[in-house]
Amino acid sequence: MNIPSMDTLVKALLDGDQTGALDEVRNLRDVGVERERIITQGVEKAMARLDAKCTVEQFNLLEIMLSGRAVMGVIKELYPPNAPLPRTKATVVVGTLEGDVHDLGKNVLKGVLTASGYRVVDCGKDCPVGQMIDAAEREAALAISVSGLITTVIPQVRTLRSKITAKGLGHIKMMAGGAALKQSSPESLNVDFVGDTAFDGLHYLDQITGGEQ
Amino acid sequence: MNSIERIRAATGFERPDRVPVIAQVFGHAAVLSGVSLRDYLRDGDLLARCQIKALQRYGYDTVFALMDTSVETEAVGSILTYPPDQYPHVKSYALSDAGNLEGLSLPDPQRSGRMPELLKAVRRLRQEVGDEVLVVGCVSGPMTVAVQLLGMETALYLAIDHPERFARLLDFSAQVAIRFATAQIEAGAHLPLVFDPCASPAVIPPQFFREFELPRLRTLFTALKAAGAAASWLHIAGPVVPILPLYPQCGVDIANFDYCVSALDARKALPHTCLDGNIKPLAFVEATPEMIAEASSRLLTEFASRGGFILSSGCEIPPEAKPENVAAMVAAAGGR
Repeated sequence: MNIPSMDTLVKALLDGDQTGALDEVRNLRDVGVERERIITQGVEKAMARLDAKCTVEQFNLLEIMLSGRAVMGVIKELYPPNAPLPRTKATVVVGTLEGDVHDLGKNVLKGVLTASGYRVVDCGKDCPVGQMIDAAEREAALAISVSGLITTVIPQVRTLRSKITAKGLGHIKMMAGGAALKQSSPESLNVDFVGDTAFDGLHYLDQITGGEQ
Repeated sequence: MNSIERIRAATGFERPDRVPVIAQVFGHAAVLSGVSLRDYLRDGDLLARCQIKALQRYGYDTVFALMDTSVETEAVGSILTYPPDQYPHVKSYALSDAGNLEGLSLPDPQRSGRMPELLKAVRRLRQEVGDEVLVVGCVSGPMTVAVQLLGMETALYLAIDHPERFARLLDFSAQVAIRFATAQIEAGAHLPLVFDPCASPAVIPPQFFREFELPRLRTLFTALKAAGAAASWLHIAGPVVPILPLYPQCGVDIANFDYCVSALDARKALPHTCLDGNIKPLAFVEATPEMIAEASSRLLTEFASRGGFILSSGCEIPPEAKPENVAAMVAAAGGR
């Protein structure tokens, strides 16, 4: 039997064409392609292409959001709320810190990580640090990623490590990103990693997990 | 030379007595005066008093009648939340339904939302500084107004899913900006800064900027020039290199460049346009005065032979900045 090509799906995802992507997913399922294969060879391939395209100079929210919308549509189609979750690389807790209501960057990261095989626990926006740490403990997370568009959240970021350590969770990695936080450094923020883009965050996590599910 | 003559000289690529310095001090002026941001942003008299105090303290070349990027959307009907010490954010958008464009009406700058307070700030500032120091008003650019009317996600999806409707929304947004900016000029602003963070290549691709934003910015700047603006100043943060070459087509006289753009790239992209920038905003919080002095000196050297330069931060100096860092940038421009 011929193995159906994923090219049409990958192109639709890169074009941000949600309808086209969903049509193609249904075609692939009709001819017996497993969900897992659609994810690994379709969705993740599209994300890798998008990653290669999104250098810092070319990273723009519009294209990422369009592809993200199409990708999330495909994931929902393949794994409706009651369907068993696919195996994931690790769990990551994401959130925008207390006092900051800008959650678009955090949502982009959530989309990129979900589409790349991570389970993402979203603490939303305006979220106290303690709540994120509790979620990370409860969900046995590999990492916490905090997002900040405004510089005034920086003092909160700097409390993360001591709070995590105090709870005996020193193994949890701490990541930061967003327009304000990315101007700083891991040393200054006292975190493990500061990323310019969502894909930087993905690369950092893949280094730790070896990119394996 | 006074500040206005200095800035005029820089804009015209003539030699000023020293390089003009514009510290983008907005909410920081409130912090300096021990005033809550929430009060500063809703009271034009108070805003003007804090700006004058900051001017007296630092001695730079501009004062700003500038509140935040939610002034226009609030005036059109959005409901804002005002935390005590932060800029407001939109609680409910004026356009809850992207299909309801026809229900929008243009705000009246003399009556709608905080627009009258901002005009009051302009008048007070102009009374105080006359034609010695540049009085800068502010309007959000068309893309930013559109995003603030709908929310970023809804606005961007509308742009792709229904481009003709989005174009109508941008036309409306440009009209909001023209009305408000014209009222600021009439109230005494030497020029209104056009602040358009949502038109950044970090948000929209350059071809989208060219197709949707450029024509509206051109219309806006043409209207402001006709209303008597001393110059057209465009402020878009982020990695703007791909769109800088389009600025002359918009009629831009002064172009802001952010910390992530090198001075060399900005100069190459805009050889005949005055540039302002580009010290990293967070450095005013985290760095030392020596580091700010060094960054300023590097920029002044890079532009020494070219001219057409205003020393500034890449974007707003954060409200919680260390005053000695702002002073270090101003001092660096002395005699250069």
